[in-house]
This record gives sequence, structure tokens and C-alpha cells, in this order.
Amino acid sequence: MSAPAAPQPRWYQRAVFYELPPRSFFDSSGDGIGDLEGIRAKLDYLEWLGVDCLWLLPYYPSPLRDGGYDVSDFLTVAPEYGRLDDLVTLLDDAHHRGIRIMSDLVMNHTSEEHPWFVESRSSRDNPKADWYLWAEDDQGLPDVRVVFVDAEPSNWTFDPARKQYYFHRFFHHQPDLNYANPAVVETMLEVVRFWLDLGLDGFRLDAVAYLYKRQGTSSENLPETHAFLRRLRQEVDKSYPDRVLLAEVNQWPMDVVDYFGDGDECHMAFHFPLMPRMFMAVRREQRFPVTEILTQTPPIPEGCQWGIFLRNHDELTLEMVTEDERDYMYAEYAKDPQMRRNLGIRRRFATLVDNDRRVAELLHSMLLSLPGAPILYYGDEILMGDNVYLGDRDAVRTPMQWTPDRNGGFSTADFARLFLPPIMDPVHGFQAVNVEAQERDASSFLHWVRKMLHTRRQYPVFATGAIEMLPADNPSVVAYLRSEDGGPTVFCVNNLSRFAQPVRVSLLGHEGARPIELLGRIPFPDVGADPYPISLQPYGFYWFELREAES
Amino acid sequence: MTPDAWLPLAGGADGLSGLLGPFLDRQAWARSSLGTSPSRVALRPVDVAVLRQGRPGLASVVVEAGEDPPTRLHVLLGWRETPQATAALARPGAVLGTGSDGSGEVLVYDALADPELCLELLEAASGGAEHAERARLVESLVSHASLVYDERLFMKCYRVIEPRPRPEIEMLAGLDRVGFNHILAPVARWSRDGGDLALVREFVPSAVEGRALALTSLRDLLARATPGQPTTSFEEVGRAGGDLGDEMRRLGHATAELHLALADAFGVREGGARVPGPRIRTHGDYHLRRVMRVDAGWLVAGFGDDPLIGAQAGAASQGEPRMGVPLEDVADLFISLEQVADEAALVQPPGTMAHARVLADGWVRHNRRSFLRGYLEIPGIGRLVPAGREEVDSIVASKVLDRRAAAG
Repeated sequence: MSAPAAPQPRWYQRAVFYELPPRSFFDSSGDGIGDLEGIRAKLDYLEWLGVDCLWLLPYYPSPLRDGGYDVSDFLTVAPEYGRLDDLVTLLDDAHHRGIRIMSDLVMNHTSEEHPWFVESRSSRDNPKADWYLWAEDDQGLPDVRVVFVDAEPSNWTFDPARKQYYFHRFFHHQPDLNYANPAVVETMLEVVRFWLDLGLDGFRLDAVAYLYKRQGTSSENLPETHAFLRRLRQEVDKSYPDRVLLAEVNQWPMDVVDYFGDGDECHMAFHFPLMPRMFMAVRREQRFPVTEILTQTPPIPEGCQWGIFLRNHDELTLEMVTEDERDYMYAEYAKDPQMRRNLGIRRRFATLVDNDRRVAELLHSMLLSLPGAPILYYGDEILMGDNVYLGDRDAVRTPMQWTPDRNGGFSTADFARLFLPPIMDPVHGFQAVNVEAQERDASSFLHWVRKMLHTRRQYPVFATGAIEMLPADNPSVVAYLRSEDGGPTVFCVNNLSRFAQPVRVSLLGHEGARPIELLGRIPFPDVGADPYPISLQPYGFYWFELREAES
Repeated sequence: MTPDAWLPLAGGADGLSGLLGPFLDRQAWARSSLGTSPSRVALRPVDVAVLRQGRPGLASVVVEAGEDPPTRLHVLLGWRETPQATAALARPGAVLGTGSDGSGEVLVYDALADPELCLELLEAASGGAEHAERARLVESLVSHASLVYDERLFMKCYRVIEPRPRPEIEMLAGLDRVGFNHILAPVARWSRDGGDLALVREFVPSAVEGRALALTSLRDLLARATPGQPTTSFEEVGRAGGDLGDEMRRLGHATAELHLALADAFGVREGGARVPGPRIRTHGDYHLRRVMRVDAGWLVAGFGDDPLIGAQAGAASQGEPRMGVPLEDVADLFISLEQVADEAALVQPPGTMAHARVLADGWVRHNRRSFLRGYLEIPGIGRLVPAGREEVDSIVASKVLDRRAAAG
């Protein structure tokens, strides 16, 4: 067991998260697959970069037909990633540096190779016969939508052994667990305790909206599911203070807030609709896609936090946009059908923004200044590229590019043995884009990100302050204030256009205040009675601290 | 109250009349409203309401100008002790002259130039229901002056008092009554003896004119066009980028809802032989400067500014609000899309204007389609316009031609 990280109440509100697939990060054993010891070897780098919490994608044993989200054993580490004590060593070393680690927990379903399912499908009267959802036909739960529309015609698949249909929300090889069975509930709570006892700092709860099913409903967001989450939270709070539950619920913010409960369900939840709208706002050069979704985002209970991100291991999800907006996003960001997958676009951040450093900086400045805890995806800090010709979501899970050497410094294995080929094209390939080169180059994107994380850390108001959208007379400019009692007020202004833009921003109530630019500590002219005039370079942005006039 | 009872001016009403002439001569709105120099016509202060006694003081004065019939102007007067007044005034040219309020000399001036008195004005106009900390005069037009309070409320002070209710106020009230919420809702109405003096309504500071959004979209399109490829069509350059289609579709929704609300609030008249189809009270001056994008969606503004209603329209339209075919508003909006396209094409580099024109035409067509798609998607709109998309298209096209011909 690992010693817990130094206690820090509500650390997750102020944390910067870094998401990484252990498989893709660093291979310490030379077998061509990244591993837990490899992550430990790179803690120096992560500490230098300034991230607070790592989120590890699933490292459980798995047939890997869904990137490890098809778990075949919840209580150990897959051998290619190491052993349980490697995880404990990693936790120890990270905690020593003040870095926390959370992992994915897939509660909704298992792999069809999980011994529970093997037993359940073996007959209709075995002890685990009711651990999954079985039926005589495929007509049940007709209101449940099919998620992976590219791959699955139905949510029911016939099992020739048991001669019944089983239910699966996602792939047919991922049967859903039956939470109506108390034995399943107790067993999954046992799984949670197992990992928290080892010292893990929390979980991203995968597909958590779908746990319970009920006829006649879409079986999303059912009250039974919320009741289970309250129970889970009680268990965590009772024995494991300071740990965090992060809900993955890909729905509208007004529905997602239910997963915070009254502050008695999840600590955090992803804000899914914001991300595609940030890209849309830049492409349309107008702020309304972003401001509209922010005004539709309800307040959240004390002690809770949104998780916000530009990209993650999944495709750029377009479930949370309208059909018109989806057509638009496809037309803009996925001109090649290879780039599309289900209802999303499988590309990395750098390729989505056409490798434009200015757009990259603008979008990160917004990520770091909008309300929520920012979640970075591994490799985006060096503007790594993708390979859309790889299957499934592997396009964005290629090996991390550490150096210009063999395999990008990811592994010493034979190239042919690598779990995925690294990116090698002349623009995004590891010879051009890698950590070592960017560490040496003080004007690299990596250094810029580090500087921004450092600056953000000096102003906790970015993490916990309220947001107030500011009136700006130019629709290509989005401006807002972040403020909280007893702390400084920060004023952010962003130009979404590729052309220089003038703007006048209304800073009512701050007359006489002096804006001090945060990166260079440059005092700007005082705020007067009229709207504040600013000129912004293409994709330019400013963060200011507003020093109120002495009264 | 008669003017003499309150006036801090030597000579009472006569004294005021004497000062009003030179003051109004300096105001562009007064010259425009009267069509002549105000000092050349007889000016009679006929009604005075003192809104605040003492120093500073505030009064609302109705001035009759000319004869047959006289034009009734609304002037807001303020006064303070002279040294303080100089500091309080935000605008030169606002001063009428000096007077005495019994305990010393005061300066009498246009109250709209004094932010503190503008706050008093809000309380008076709302019957004490509204209170603000800050006032800002945002525009001074011939028809009205606009004040913004705490970036929350907006007040229009009319310059000329019409003998009947203003169409703008009627329309906003009617739309508000039937629950149409794509407007800045009316908050208070200030009137005296049946004449409207001011209207207070909500203010949404983040609002952006539809025209600015349209120009943003076109700017993107034109900048994407590859120089030297004059055959590139709008479709080839792509609808993406700064596409406005989605916004236009939503504006179509809001517009159809507006027309249904106007039909509910003011009734539907069946068409005759000359103008077939149901007629309603239309917006009348619907274009991209009249619609505003706010964070929550589209708002419609500028009611009652219909150039065919009111004083400018001549005797023919006096008395009764004009009824029209709803698609006239749609045609007006389409014309303004073309105007935006013209405007954007004009600032292109020499030699590329024709190319820009081709692209912009495609942009106009695309956005018209998107708008109509949204417009016809609203349930119930079929009771106001023909059901077929093609028929609607051709009616709008003919209205566009009519409007162009009327505009000369």
C-alpha cells in the first residue's frame, strides 16, 4: 500500500489533470508496450511540467477489444503493464512529489471474457446467472439508444451457449452488469475499496449514467443509479477522505449536474458540450457557441468541480451538439471520412487546429481560464499528431514522442514489436516533435504550456472563482471576469478571429481599476467610465489581474 | 402646475420661452422635428411637472411649437447652483441660461446631460418601481435619447409627443402579453395626458447586431477564397468556416414565432383580391440591424420604426396600424443580407470585387435557404403563409422586387 498524498481538502478543484494511457506513455521493459514503471520513470517530466493529478486509462487485464475498457479482471494489473506492487511504487513516488493518481473504473460492463460472464453464460441456473441482463428475445429496453452506431445494430446479442440474448449498451463483447442484483453492487463496492486501499486517489467513473436499467425508459440517469452513487460516495467519504469521483456522463450540463447530487454524489463531472463549441467558436470566429453553453451551465454544489478538456482519448464527441452543428463540425474538422468515427472526430488537438500555434495557444488559454479543472491529454503539450489510418481510437493513442531517437524514445524494442507505430510523418513525426527538443527550445509550445500552468497556479481564482461574461461589442471576441471573495479578480479577453480585432469591453463597476497583464506583469491603462478599448492580434488573448483603485 | 409656479427663471414662462429658442436651435433633433429653426416659431411651455424640488432640481416640460397643429416637444430641464452645475454637466451646449430659485442663482440646463438627474428620471418614469446606481446616455437621436441604467435597463426618452399611443409601445406590450420572449421586455411606460414620454425596457449588454455577425461570416468566406481562381463558387469554398446558416435557421425560428405572436396579439385579417393571403401586423422594418444575437439566442428589436407608420408616412397611414403579409418582413431581411454582401464586397482589393460578388451571392442564397428552412419549421406558421416551400420562395422573391422598386 502506498502512503496517501499529503492531505489537501478539495485539491481536485485546483488541480490540473493529465490523462495518459499507460500503454502509450513509456516502455520501461523494452517489450514494445508502455507500462507503470515507465510512468514512474517520467515523473520528473510531469512534475516539471506542473501537473497535479494523473488519470490513467484502464490497466486491468483485458482482451483489448475496446482499449482496455473491456475488463476481464477488476482486481489486478494486466501483466504487460507490470504488477500490483509496481502501481504501489508509482503511487509512492508520485505522492512524494505531490502528484496524485486516479484511474478509470468501468462499472457498467465487463469483457465477455470476464470469469463472471463466462460463468453467467454457461447455464441459466449458475450462481452468477443473474449478474448480467438476460432475456428470451431482443425486444426488451427498446428505448435505449445504440451508442456505437458504426459497429452494433442492436443492444442485444444472442448467446448460443445459454440460448438467450444478453444486453450490452456498447459493444457486443461488453455485456452490461445487472445492478438490480445486490451481489453485483456489493462486489463492485469491494473493487472500489480494493484500489483505494492501495492508495489510488480516485476514479473516473466510466459510463456511469447507464448502470441501472428499467423498462419503458432510456435507462439513462435513473434515480436508482443516483442512489447507488450516493452510497458509493458515503463509502469513499467514510474511509478514504480526499479521494475523488469523476463522472463520465456525456450529456447536457443541466442533466450532468444531477451527478453532483447535493454535493453527495460525484466530486467532479466532465463538461462535454463545451469542448466541441470551443473549436466551433474559433472556426466561426464568433463567441456565441461558447457563451451560449456557459449560460446554460447551471451552478454546481459547493465542493464540486467541472472537468474541462480540449481533447481526450475518445473521438471529439459530437453527441452533445445539434445535427446541424455536427454536419458543420464534420465539414470543418473531418473532411476525410477516415477521420470520423461513430458520432465524433478521431483527431488530436494539433491536427484539429492545423498545427497553428496561435490557435493552440488561444484554445489553451481558454481551457486554463474557463471554470473547471483542465484535463490535458498526453502529447498535446508538445502538439503531437495523429494517425487516422489506425483502427478504432488508436489514431490518438500512438506512442508518446520523447526524443528524436529510435521509436521516438518511447521504447527500445524492435520497431515491429511496438504496440502501435509512432507518428513518423515529416510534420508531426517524432523527429520533428518530441519532448527533448522542446525542452531545449525555450520558445516551444511545451515551455509555453508550462509557463501558463505556472501562471494559472498563482491565481486560484481560475479554479474556484465565479465567472461573469463581459459585454463586448465585437462578436469575434469573448471576454469574462473570474472573481471570488477575498482574492484578486482576473479579466480574460480572447480574439477568436484569425484577423486582428478591436474591441470595447464593458467593465462596469471597475472604474479606476488598473489591469496588469499576467504573463509580463505589464500595467495597462486604467479602466475609465467608458467600455475598455483593447486591440487584439490574430487569435490573441490577454489575462489581466484587475487591481481595484484605492478607495 | 403652471410654469410660473416653479420656474427659477426671472420672467417666468416668458423667460423660459426666451431661453428655449436659442437652446433648441442648437439641438439637431429639434431642428429636424420642426423642419425649421425653432426660434422662428412660437414656443409655448404648456405643461410642467416638477420631478424634483430643490437643488439639483428636475422638471419635465411640454413645449408646443408652431401652429396647425402645433408639434409638442418634450424637454427635460435641470438646475443646480452655478459652480456645481458646471462640474456636473457631461456635455457642452446643454445650458439654457441662469435663473434664481429664490435662494440664489442657479444654472438651468438639459437634464439629460446630468447623470445624477438621469437617475431621478428613471424613478419618475417607472413610478418609483425602478432604481439604479449608474446612468449613461448612449445615443441622442432625432426621435429619442437613449439611456442605459446599470447595464440592466434601457430608457428611450421620446423628443416629440405623439397624440396617440406609439406603435413601438403597443407592439412590445402586445407581444409581451402573448408571451413572446424574443424581445427586450417592457418594464415601464411613462406617459402624460395620453402622450408617451418614455419607455423603459430590459437591456442585454452582450447583444450583437445581426449585421455584425453576418459581416463576420462573410469576412471569413471572402478571406478563404483563393486569389486567381475566379470560378470558385460559394459551394466550393465551403459553407463551413464562418458559416451563418445555423444562426439564420434559428433566426428563422424566432421570426416565425414573432409572426405567430403578432397574429395572436393583434389579430389576423383575411386577404382580399389585391393582396391575397392572411395579413397581420408585421414588424415593418425588419433587417439585420433590428435583430440581435445574445447568449441565449436571437432578439427582435426596432418595433414601430416602420418607415410607413407614424409621422413620416403622411396622412394616409395616420390612425390605423398597417397590416401586411408576414413574408414582407422576410423579404426585408433578405434585402438586408444582400446589402451586407454589397458592403463586404466593396472593401475587397481592387480587381477582386467581381469574384467576391460571386461568392457573396452564393452566401446570400445559402443563408436565405437556411432562414426559410427555420421559418417553415415552426408549427402553426402554415396558417399565415402558404405551405409549399416553393410558393413561399416565389412570394418572397416578388416582395423583394417590390421593395427594391419602392426604394427606387
